[in-house]
Amino acid sequence: MQYKAPLETYTGRLKEVTIGSGRKAVRIGGQNILPLHYFEGAAANRCVVALEVDDNGAAGWAGHVAGPFRDVVNDPLKWAKRCMEMGADLVCLHLEGTDPQGSNKPAAEAAALVKEITGGLDAPLVVYGCGDDKKDIEVLTAVAEACKGDNLLIGPVVKENYEAIARAVAENGHCIIAQTPIDINLEKELNVKLLKQLPPEKIVIDPLSSALGYGMEYSFTIMERSRQVGVVYGDMAMQMPIIADLGRECWKINQARADAEQGMLWESITAISLLLAGADILVLRHPDNCRLLKEAIEGKL
Amino acid sequence: MILIGENIHIISKVVSEAVRNRDAAAIQALATAQAQAGADYLDLNLGPARRDPEEVGSWLVNTVQEVTDLPISLDTMNPAAMEAGLALCKTRPILNSASGKAESKELMMPLAVKYNTQVIISVITDLGCPPDVDARVESIMETVAYANGLGISNEDIFVDPIILPVSADQKQVREALEFVRILADLLPGVRSVVGLSNVSNGTPAHLRGILNRTYMVMLEKYGLYSAIADVLDPELVGLNRGGIKDIRELIHGVMEGEQVETSGLPEKARDYVKTARVLMGDALYSHAWLES
Amino acid sequence: MAIKGTEIVKRLPEGGKKNCKECGLPTCFAFAMKLASGGIAVEKCPYISPEVSRELEDALAPPIRPVTIGRGACALVVGDETVLYRHEKTFVHQPGIGVLIADDELGEVVEDKIRKLRELHFSWVGKTLRADLLALQYKSGDPAKYGAMVKKALTAADCPLMLICEDTDTLLNAHALCEGRKPVLYPVTAQNLEKVISAVKQNPAVVAVKGAGVESLVHLTSRLKEAGIEDVLLDPGSKDLQSAVRDQTLIRRAALKQGFRALGYPTVAFPCFMTADKRREMLLAAMFIPKYAAVIVLSDIDEHTLLPLLVQRLNIYTDPRIPMAMEEKVYPINNPNAGSPVLITTNWALTYFIVASEVEASKVPAWLCVKESGGLGVLTAWAAGKFSGDNIAPFIRKCGVEGMVNHRRLVIPGKVARIRNELSEALPDWQIIVGPGDANEIPAYLPALVKSWKG
Repeated sequence: MQYKAPLETYTGRLKEVTIGSGRKAVRIGGQNILPLHYFEGAAANRCVVALEVDDNGAAGWAGHVAGPFRDVVNDPLKWAKRCMEMGADLVCLHLEGTDPQGSNKPAAEAAALVKEITGGLDAPLVVYGCGDDKKDIEVLTAVAEACKGDNLLIGPVVKENYEAIARAVAENGHCIIAQTPIDINLEKELNVKLLKQLPPEKIVIDPLSSALGYGMEYSFTIMERSRQVGVVYGDMAMQMPIIADLGRECWKINQARADAEQGMLWESITAISLLLAGADILVLRHPDNCRLLKEAIEGKL
Repeated sequence: MILIGENIHIISKVVSEAVRNRDAAAIQALATAQAQAGADYLDLNLGPARRDPEEVGSWLVNTVQEVTDLPISLDTMNPAAMEAGLALCKTRPILNSASGKAESKELMMPLAVKYNTQVIISVITDLGCPPDVDARVESIMETVAYANGLGISNEDIFVDPIILPVSADQKQVREALEFVRILADLLPGVRSVVGLSNVSNGTPAHLRGILNRTYMVMLEKYGLYSAIADVLDPELVGLNRGGIKDIRELIHGVMEGEQVETSGLPEKARDYVKTARVLMGDALYSHAWLES
Repeated sequence: MAIKGTEIVKRLPEGGKKNCKECGLPTCFAFAMKLASGGIAVEKCPYISPEVSRELEDALAPPIRPVTIGRGACALVVGDETVLYRHEKTFVHQPGIGVLIADDELGEVVEDKIRKLRELHFSWVGKTLRADLLALQYKSGDPAKYGAMVKKALTAADCPLMLICEDTDTLLNAHALCEGRKPVLYPVTAQNLEKVISAVKQNPAVVAVKGAGVESLVHLTSRLKEAGIEDVLLDPGSKDLQSAVRDQTLIRRAALKQGFRALGYPTVAFPCFMTADKRREMLLAAMFIPKYAAVIVLSDIDEHTLLPLLVQRLNIYTDPRIPMAMEEKVYPINNPNAGSPVLITTNWALTYFIVASEVEASKVPAWLCVKESGGLGVLTAWAAGKFSGDNIAPFIRKCGVEGMVNHRRLVIPGKVARIRNELSEALPDWQIIVGPGDANEIPAYLPALVKSWKG
């Protein structure tokens, strides 16, 4: 029997999304290969790793993950800078403090904070609202306006609130995160709707990342299928890059909080699983895992 | 294709109120409307019929038979309601339905023998709905053999592959289609039947019709004998009667893997092509499938 | 490239139209379908020619051979996979996790590793998770020492064994010690292949071939097959994560998409030899789990590093067609007492995890009743008749919650507000409270609810 290597090429190609502007921009997507299949073609861009910052002083973070940032958690700009010093490709800010069920910070305050960070940080920024659909309309619209032209990646938008936020994002030159609850059909539907307001090069998909042991296989499979539908089957409405906002999901569970080493692996194993499934941005909390995942992505592991 | 009218269904508010209040006129209006629309059978779905099953079963059958001679497909999970209704049917009815579940074999199938009815047998077993064609084959062979053992001949059996909503599990839509395609070779003599509207369950209401109609044309191409369907949808009945020939041909083209060019087509034809592509699994489903 | 029933039927007598029923099935078509799904043997057809029979048996053989390592209750079965991606159907046989022990390690280290393999286990969603095999490495240069360690492992544990030894004579001596245990022999290369073949013919073992790249494995497995040996594992010798993704993918594709028999075997991977750093090693192991390895050898295991890997393995190998279900019972959250609120939900694992984590986040001690509902979410379970008043009531009576609390207030999911009345009728002594429609509202809802009771 003669062996002939079963290499494959595909007709579909992911859209290339640029986050940030000028010298500090990063690009994701653009590839027409499956995750880490560098042997079947060059990836236009490889997966990038973001570290998470929040506006709420790392409230609820276990000590062993907050540790590297202990002295800066009350200063999100310094915290963001520390993330970059520790090897992140970009920073993901969660506006946790705007949650009406928590500190309920006003939209204007959040927008001012984001502006301060983009002004002082030499890196692109992802901004997540608190996840309350109504409050997110106010907050994310204010952020989009305050940071006009900074080309942030802003989200999440969901089917209940995408129209108003997408308008502000489009008018102010940003990218958007389309979030759906671990359902590939709803994911496509939201993409189709958003494509009426924004070009595909301005959209990133968040199919929701669940932690290892807490539904990770669903996220894994949705991402794997999304990538196949977009690249292998060439579905134009499914060719946006994927963000896996997994750090917070991992570190909130007992097994990660209870033991530092176990927590590290909970985050890194969830991350490599979702990387292999098709994530283009991994959002992590621990800088050591950031370095480790970057090694894996860059082929040094 | 034989159409079994689905509109007397306990899940509809009108029907459940009519049954509760024994409002014969409301039920009869639905029966007459379906008969006029072209139904070949009327499905009477009583659901679990927890309260007064015998009385409800007999009342509903009698009420319907007062205004139409169409044969009845009696649909309930409650054996007492089933038996009461079957006993009163003037034309040979269909027992809807039996399955491979132990309880169904024990309580439902013997009723088909006792009242000499035709019977719908689904691929469901105690393990649930089989996930693919092979598992459906395995389940139905076993269940039909059991029914044969009771004296029910293949000619009296309608096999139901169980249609699942495209919005919930798109792959299953194709699996059920393939199953219908091989059924005649697998069990000669049996007929096929589907609960057609289930394919569009969970889809926004205004979009359900085109899914039902497209899937009906597809199933028919693969030999479907009958469908429990919304006969009050005139476009569905029209398609079933062979009308709108170009639409049927477009759908068949998609099934045969042709690259159907949609740009020059009228909007309606384009929508059917898009829908067929989704049901074949060529395009990923979303509620916005007609918009992309 | 499993052959389909519709293709088999054409090869049957009279083109599948004979329909003699002598196989016990109503038609040749039914027989063909059953053959394709592995439910019946070819020889059940009395009219099939020996030639066609052989062809069919060959075509019906699994594209990736199932391989059993070890014996008895602890035997590890790997391989027999049929898909590249779990969503296409499911992955079937979880990879075995091995623990490496070198014969130059201290006695107590050896003992400790054996103990950990035997004793470390975890409960997760009603399943017991544990590592599977010992990999015994010859490193000391002293064959007697290696033999002694192999003997020790043989008596200390009944688990499957892998013998890792580059010296052929020492390897085969150790193999002889393992008679009846069907160990894995590694590495088998062109150099020792013939000697290994004669030894394995005497005394069965799983042959783990090692090559430099995927293609180099082909002539090794072809020679083994010629010698009648098919209990084989493949190691393409990948040196890092990227080449491992490539090699594992190419092997799996060759077996499944090309039907290339010479690569139709499970693979073995050695993160323990790819890095000296524990976290990197675990990350490599975690790559090999979704990327097709069937045996994964680690340098060591401990409680905190093993659990996440085993959970990942469980997640990836869970059948996506069958919803993961939780055991039906009352789950205490945040140390509840007799006055704590009682909530009920369905037993889909994801539903449970979401509700439980939100209750946990609310910091309110509570009892969460999880009712068997076919592994469905709340609304689908209701629609399927598995979460309604008449079946929730008996569950509440028998699950024991009535003895755990001194009140009778039950919070039901807002999505099934419609069952409130029927449930009240069925549980007249309980007050039925409609909770939030979305689990993420629980952290706000529960404290307010408890406060209103006190108020």
